[in-house]
Amino acid sequence: MTAPEPPFEIPPIITYAVPGFVALILIEMIYVRLTGRGRYEARDALTSLMMGFGNRVFGIAFGGLAVAAYFWVYQFRLFDLGWTWPVMVACFFAEDLAYYWFHRIAHERRWFWASHVIHHSSQHYNLTTALRQTWTGVLSLSFIFWLPLVWIGFPPLMVLMFSAISLVYQFWIHTETIHRMGPLEWVLNTPSHHRVHHAVNAKYLDANYAGVLIIWDRLFGTFVPEDDKEKPRYGIITQLGTFNPLRVAFHEWLGIWRDLRSAKSLREALGYTFGPPGWSPDGSRKTSRSIKQAWAAQYGAPSSSPAQAS
Amino acid sequence: MTFEAYLQQWIEEAPVLAGSIVAVLFMAGVAALLGFRRTARLDEAELQRLAAAESATLERYLIAPGAKSALARLEGGKLMVARVMGADISARVLPVSAARFRFRNGRFSVAFADTGFPPLDLEIDQTPPWLAQLAEAS
Repeated sequence: MTAPEPPFEIPPIITYAVPGFVALILIEMIYVRLTGRGRYEARDALTSLMMGFGNRVFGIAFGGLAVAAYFWVYQFRLFDLGWTWPVMVACFFAEDLAYYWFHRIAHERRWFWASHVIHHSSQHYNLTTALRQTWTGVLSLSFIFWLPLVWIGFPPLMVLMFSAISLVYQFWIHTETIHRMGPLEWVLNTPSHHRVHHAVNAKYLDANYAGVLIIWDRLFGTFVPEDDKEKPRYGIITQLGTFNPLRVAFHEWLGIWRDLRSAKSLREALGYTFGPPGWSPDGSRKTSRSIKQAWAAQYGAPSSSPAQAS
Repeated sequence: MTFEAYLQQWIEEAPVLAGSIVAVLFMAGVAALLGFRRTARLDEAELQRLAAAESATLERYLIAPGAKSALARLEGGKLMVARVMGADISARVLPVSAARFRFRNGRFSVAFADTGFPPLDLEIDQTPPWLAQLAEAS
């Protein structure tokens, strides 16, 4: 079960980044106040920050389960990959690809969406939104998407390190204060690309799942560029009516539970739990697909994939 | 991991968590000081816009005193509820059967199955007939 030791001491990356988060949030607030570019709302920001705090608490309480799973799977690794530069470069790409698929499935399957919806539940898009994080990520087994990496043979600590770096990277892209970034837009996930991801406009739904590199969306057909003629509206399809962190954290889980109690068959139970968010046996509720189809029918645009919809 | 090690982890993290709470309150305080406490208001035009976004038409509506919450009946019999969320408005369109109504001591209360949308309390002197009908129908 022993994993190779890293050749350097890995710092607590996210903890070290927190002062930077605080400073950037304060700078963004002042910038928004002075320029009017972007939006803040104190109660919404407080809720986002409290969700970030709760994420930390739940991470301390349950994060060990994910780490233990990494090390357990690592026993059965296919290759012995050490801490070399080529392996680290490969791990960076592999981690980012794993993140893409985690993120995509977190939007497409209600079990994982129940955790991830928290991050999308603000109607605002600013740096505090980046900290509006789930409390139930580990408990919903979101970490399974990274297990193939340690099974291949990437050291668990290396995978965890790049996961932390990815999380820190994704902080600064939650802003309306940066418009476009030139050629970087081709390769990197940028504020513009991520605004599209957080938007509820039919045109923008289920797009831009990237962590650090936008190349995965371009590769798998989920890339949608930001259209200057269509300003993103943020949040979720059925906007929350509360700033209460407990309601924000658990509302979708309770929704699953409520639906399961009304399920009349195993098919319905599975559909409510693992189907697309909004799935219902009679199709009476809205899903991303049905919204995009209605939009496409209205505007005559193709709707089979976000890439086409762009 | 032993229980002692788990406990030790919490003890080590305690100062970080305490610092985080202070930082959270500080940032929210700065946001409030900078004037990010705008409150939206509900009016007929806003309700019509919300209904139109759901491809529906407003039939009857009731806006609570203070204009922070509202209840409306849409064409076709569906119910629309709206609530001010700071500078934003959150609305739900749902069948009447998905809500529970109660009128007591001048307070009309509507509760929803969705935990993400807490009960709506409207302080009103008298229940309009269309609302009384809705309540009975549910």
